Amino acid sequence: MTDSRMTIFSIMFGIFYLAAFYYDLALFRYYPEVGQFHFLRNDSLGVVILWYGWIATAALASAAIAFAVPRNLADRLWSGWAWIIPTVVVVAMLIYERRWFVS
Amino acid sequence: MIVVLLIVHGLLAVALLGAITHQALSVFTVASASNGRWTFVNRFRGVDATAYATPIVVLFVVTTLGGAVLYPQYRIDVRPALEDTQNTAANGVFEIKEHLAAIGLGLMPVYWQFWRKANGHGTAPARRYLTWLVAFCVWWNFLVGHVLNDIRGLLP
Repeated sequence: MTDSRMTIFSIMFGIFYLAAFYYDLALFRYYPEVGQFHFLRNDSLGVVILWYGWIATAALASAAIAFAVPRNLADRLWSGWAWIIPTVVVVAMLIYERRWFVS
Repeated sequence: MIVVLLIVHGLLAVALLGAITHQALSVFTVASASNGRWTFVNRFRGVDATAYATPIVVLFVVTTLGGAVLYPQYRIDVRPALEDTQNTAANGVFEIKEHLAAIGLGLMPVYWQFWRKANGHGTAPARRYLTWLVAFCVWWNFLVGHVLNDIRGLLP
């Protein structure tokens, strides 16, 4: 992966992770009580972990975008986006997660 | 086994916290003291920050993988107990911890890339702010991990 593709991957990862978490787009689900991975929801298997699936969704989607963007376009990307967009993602996540601290 | 893994996870987190804190302070632009004396803070931030980048990436990835292995135990044992005691804030800070671990993991390629070509003058601001963002993720996760680990002793 070239430098500019790595930048695009990292920028897109945060956005896709946030979308995967917000819209429940986990690539797979892990049920720790039975130690099983499933692609589909299965409530009879106890508590579910979606976090692994969100990361997998974000990694695959951002890698696809990083490779799909033409090289000349990727090389022209302003370096500031590399930290501005992830910072916005973190702030948006923190704002959403305020729900845990308000009654 | 899970206790050993938890201790190793904690020790790796300490190493990561130290490394990222050195690096995060090193990219601050601070005027040197007029009398030329080096204070503790000067010495703490006066490191070769570039040398920390690869160890930080390795430590971040390995520590996050350790956390991912420990996570099912938390989900089965700890989280239901927090829910039973209506401790929603504790659940909330852990939710943020897992998001920051994931977002930080995604940042590792660009973080490493910007430190690898650290000589480029135009990339200095991006390098600085990326480092501070990773430092925020590491500090939050470290503090929350320790507070939740000790929560039975901390709360009445």
